[in-house]
Amino acid sequence: MSGARGWFRRNGHLVVFLLPGLVLYGLFMAYPLLTSLSYSLSDWHGLVRGAFSGLANFVKVLGQWPYNARFWGALSHNALFFALTLAIQSSLGLFLAALLSRKWRGFAFFQAVYFLPYTMSMVVVGFLWLLLLNPTWGPVAHGLRLVGLDAWVQPWLGQRSTALITVILVNAWHWLGFPVLVFMAAIQGIPREFYEAGLVDGANEWQGFRHITFPLLLPSLAMMSILTFIWDFNAFELVFVMQGASGAPNYATDLLATFFYRTAFGDPTTGGEPGQIGLASAIGVLMLIIIGAASAFGVRFSQRTQTEY
Amino acid sequence: MKSIGGKRLVAALLVLALLGVAAAQSLTFWSWRTEDVDAYNGFIAAFHKDHPGIDVTFTPYKNTEYNTILSTALQGGGGPDIVHLRAYGGMEPLAQAGLLVPLGDKVPALKDFDPNVLKAATNRADGKVYGVPFALQTIQVLYNKDVFAKLGLSEPKTWQEFLDVAQKIKASGIDALANGSKDPWTVETLFGGVAPAFYGCNAFYDKMAAGTATFEDPAFKTALQRMVDLEPYLASNYQGVAYSDMQSLFAYGQAGMLIGGSYELGTLAQLAPNFHVGSFLIPNDQGKTCETFYVDGSYGINAASKNQDADVQFINFLASKAYGQMFTDTLKQISAVPGVVPTDPVLAQMANRMHSEGTPYLMLTLFRYGQPSGSTLLQNEMQAVLAGSETVDQAAANIQRGVATWYKFQ
Amino acid sequence: MRSPHPAAAGRRPPDARWVGRLAIYLFLTLLALGFLYPIVLMVLDAFKTTPEIFRHPFGLPSHVGLETFREVWRRAHFGLYLRNSLLVTGGSLLVLLATAAPAAYALARYRFPVRGLIFLFFLAGIMVPIRLGILPLYLLMKHLSLLDTPFALIFTYAASGMPMSVFLLSTFFRTLPSDLEDAARIDGCGEYRIFWSIMLPLVRPAVATVTIVNVVPWWNDFFFPLLFLQSNTWKTVPLGMQIFFGQHLTNWSLVFAGMLMASLPLLAIYLLMSRQFISGLTSGALKG
Repeated sequence: MSGARGWFRRNGHLVVFLLPGLVLYGLFMAYPLLTSLSYSLSDWHGLVRGAFSGLANFVKVLGQWPYNARFWGALSHNALFFALTLAIQSSLGLFLAALLSRKWRGFAFFQAVYFLPYTMSMVVVGFLWLLLLNPTWGPVAHGLRLVGLDAWVQPWLGQRSTALITVILVNAWHWLGFPVLVFMAAIQGIPREFYEAGLVDGANEWQGFRHITFPLLLPSLAMMSILTFIWDFNAFELVFVMQGASGAPNYATDLLATFFYRTAFGDPTTGGEPGQIGLASAIGVLMLIIIGAASAFGVRFSQRTQTEY
Repeated sequence: MKSIGGKRLVAALLVLALLGVAAAQSLTFWSWRTEDVDAYNGFIAAFHKDHPGIDVTFTPYKNTEYNTILSTALQGGGGPDIVHLRAYGGMEPLAQAGLLVPLGDKVPALKDFDPNVLKAATNRADGKVYGVPFALQTIQVLYNKDVFAKLGLSEPKTWQEFLDVAQKIKASGIDALANGSKDPWTVETLFGGVAPAFYGCNAFYDKMAAGTATFEDPAFKTALQRMVDLEPYLASNYQGVAYSDMQSLFAYGQAGMLIGGSYELGTLAQLAPNFHVGSFLIPNDQGKTCETFYVDGSYGINAASKNQDADVQFINFLASKAYGQMFTDTLKQISAVPGVVPTDPVLAQMANRMHSEGTPYLMLTLFRYGQPSGSTLLQNEMQAVLAGSETVDQAAANIQRGVATWYKFQ
Repeated sequence: MRSPHPAAAGRRPPDARWVGRLAIYLFLTLLALGFLYPIVLMVLDAFKTTPEIFRHPFGLPSHVGLETFREVWRRAHFGLYLRNSLLVTGGSLLVLLATAAPAAYALARYRFPVRGLIFLFFLAGIMVPIRLGILPLYLLMKHLSLLDTPFALIFTYAASGMPMSVFLLSTFFRTLPSDLEDAARIDGCGEYRIFWSIMLPLVRPAVATVTIVNVVPWWNDFFFPLLFLQSNTWKTVPLGMQIFFGQHLTNWSLVFAGMLMASLPLLAIYLLMSRQFISGLTSGALKG
C-alpha cells in the first residue's frame, strides 16, 4: 500500500500527463477501430451481424473476383498516388524550399501563394478543378482552343489514360505548399557556421546544397515522406468529389479508401446497393496492415537518420 | 370566411382530442432529394393545414451521402421518424434488419397500388411492403423540337432512321446526343434508353427474372452493341461530360437529343423555361419499341420512431390521391399513386407509354440485391467498351461472371 | 537595380548574377500564376452569370454585384454554419492540445517501463483512418448521448488528431537540451512547473505546426458532421456547401460563389497570420 503511494508520489505526474490523452484516444479512436476489426471476422446480412466467420472475408477480398481485381487495382493506384506526390514534393518542393529560404525581396509573397491552395477544402478543390477541367465549358479547354490547340482538349478526368494522373496533379496543387513550408523551416534551422565552414573550403552553391543542406535535411525529408505516405494511402475526398465513389472511369481512379467506402455503404452513385460491412472491415484491416508496415519501416529509418544528425 | 375558420378550429381540436395530446408533435423526415426542399415544404404545409397537431421537418442530405447516413443512423437506433427509402435492393437490407415498420395494415390505400410498383418497397424475405412508393421514372429520348423543325426532322420509326436523324443533327454542327460517360450512372441511363427494344423487352426481362437467360445471350450482346454504335453521336469529349453538362448541353441547344429520364423535364423547365421538348422511344430494326420504367423510391417509417401514430397519419397522407396530384404537378414527375394523371402533356405521354409498353429497368429492379450489382458492372464495363479498351463480348462475360457470384441462374 | 551584396560580389561577374536572379524570379512568377490563377478565376466567376462564364471564361464580370453571394448566404444558412465550424474547430484544438502536449512531453522526456508501448499505441493510430471505425463510433456517440451535439465532432477530431500531434510534439520535445530541465530541477521546480513554464513555451512553434496540421482538415471535413449532426442547428460550412454544390452543378455562378464563401474564412486567416505561421515553423526548426 505504502509502496503504491510512494510510487505515485514519485511518478504521479506521468499519470497526470498521460491519462487524459490515453482516455480520449482509447475511447474515441482505439475502441471503435478495434471493434471494427472484430467486424471483419464476422458474417453480415445487411446491417445484421451474423456468426463468427474466421478469415472468410479476407479470402474473398484477396481471392475472389471482382473484389481481388478492385483491391489490387486500388492498391496500385494508391502506390502511384504516393510515388508521384513524393517525386513532386522531393524535387520541385525541395527546390522551391531551398530557393525561397534565401529570403530575397518578394519571396514571402511567393511562398504565401504556393501555400494558398492548402487552406482550401478538398471539397472546394475538387469541385473547382472539376469545373476548370470540364472539356465542354471549362476555362482550360477554352484557353487551349483560343490559342489553336483544339486537339489538346481532352476529357482529362474522363479517360482512363489521364484520369488518375490528373487527380494526382490536382492533389499536388493543393498539397505542395505544405512540404515546402516544412522543408524551409528545416533549411533555416541549419546553423550558419556549417555553410561558413563550407565557404572556406571554396564550395559553390550546388556543392553547398549537396554536401551540407541535403544531408542535414534528411530527417525532415524522411518525416515528410512518411506523412505523405499515410495521407496518400488514406486519400478519399478528391476522388470521391471528382470521380465518384467508384473511381470512374471504370475504376481507373479507384483508391483503397473509395473501395472501402463503397463496400461498406454501397455505391451511392448506383442509388443504394446494399453495403457489406464484413468485407469492408476486412479491406480496412488490410489497409491498416499495409499502411502500418510501411510507416513502421519509415519511422525506423527516420529515427536512424535522426540519430546521425 | 369566419365559419370556415371555425370549422377548421373544431377539426383541429378533434384531431388533438383523438391524439390525446395537447402539444404539437414534431416529426423528422430525411431524404436525398436536396433539389426538392421547397416542394416538400409545400407538401408538408398542405398536410399541416389538415393536421395542425403535427409538424414535419424535412431534412435532405446529399444524394451520394444519404445511404451512409441513413443506414448508420437507423442501425444506431436513431434517425428520423419518416424515411425516404431507395427502391428495390436499396431498401431491402433496412427492412430485413427490422429497422422499418411494415405498412400493409396501416396504409389502406396501398392495396390499390400496382403490384409491380409495390415490388420496389417489398422485402422479398417476408413479402411485406415497407414503403409507400412515390415516383415512377421512365427513360426515353428527349429532343429539342426547335432543332428538329429547323433541320426538317421527324421522330424516327426504325433504328436506321434514328441513326440518320443523329447523323443530320451532327452534320448541322451541334452534338446529336447530349449524353456523356463521365458519371458512370448516366451510362446505365443510356442503356435503359437503347437496350430494351434490342434485347426483347419483357420477354427477355422475364427470363432474366427467372434466371433462365444470361447476360451472354446474343440478344443482350446486340443491345450492348447498339449502345456502342451510338458512340460517334455522343457529346464531343463525351468521356469528360458529366451529368450536369448533359443537362446544360441539351437545355442550351448545344445538343439536339438527350437519352434521359422523365425527371429531366423538371430540370429542363428550370434551366430553359421556353424550351420545346418532345420525346420518343428508340425503335429496333423492325420498329418495335418499349419504355424502361422504375420506381424511384418510397416513404417509410422508422421502427424506432416514438411517434408511430403521427407517422402513420403522415404516411397515409403521402399515399393519398390528393398528395399524388400535388406531387406530379409540383415536381413534374409521374406519381406512383394509382389514378393520378400528370397535367404536363409530355409527362402524360411518357406515363401513357409506360402503361401500354413499359418494361422494368433491368439492372435496378433485378440485380441490385447483391454486390457486385448488375448496375455497377454494367456501368463500368460499358464505360470501358465505349472507351475502346474492352469488347462487348468481354463486357457481357464480366457482367455475367460478377452477377453470378450472388444471383442464381438456372 | 539594387547593387549586389559587397561580401559576395567577388565570387561571380555581376551581370551573370543579375541574369540568374531574373531567371529565378521568372520561374517563381510562372509557378505562382499556376497556383494563383485558378483561385482568381474562382473569384471572378463568382461574380458572373452562368451563361457569361460559359461564353467568356477569361473575361471580367460585366457588373459587380453581391446578389449571387446573397443567394448562397440565404439558401445555405451560411452564418449559422460559420459559427458552428468555428466552435467545432476551436473546441477540438483546445481538447487536443490539453491532452496531446502533456502526453507527448511525458513520452519524450521521461524514461519509464511502458513508455515504448504507449508511444507505439499512439503511433499506431497515425496509420488508421478513423473512418474505418465509423459504425462502432456512431453507436458510442449515441450511448454517450453526444449525437447531434458539437462534442461528437470535437472528441472524434481531437482523438484522431492525437497520434500525429503526439508524434510531432514528442519529436520537438526530444530535441530540447536536457540542461534546461536539470537546471530547473536543481532550482527546486516541480515536474508540472517544468512542463508548463519551461518546456511548453519552448515548443510553441511545434504547437503552431500541430495547429496548422490539424485545424485545416477539421475545418474542411464534411464526413463526420454528416453522420453525427442530424438537425440543422450544428451543421458546419463544408457540409452545407457539399449539399449546395451537388444541388446546383448546372449553375456554375452559384457554385463558384459558394466555393469562394466556403474558402474565404481560412484563406483570410492564413493571409492575416501567415507571418506567424512561418516564423513559428522557422524558429521551431532553429531550435533543432
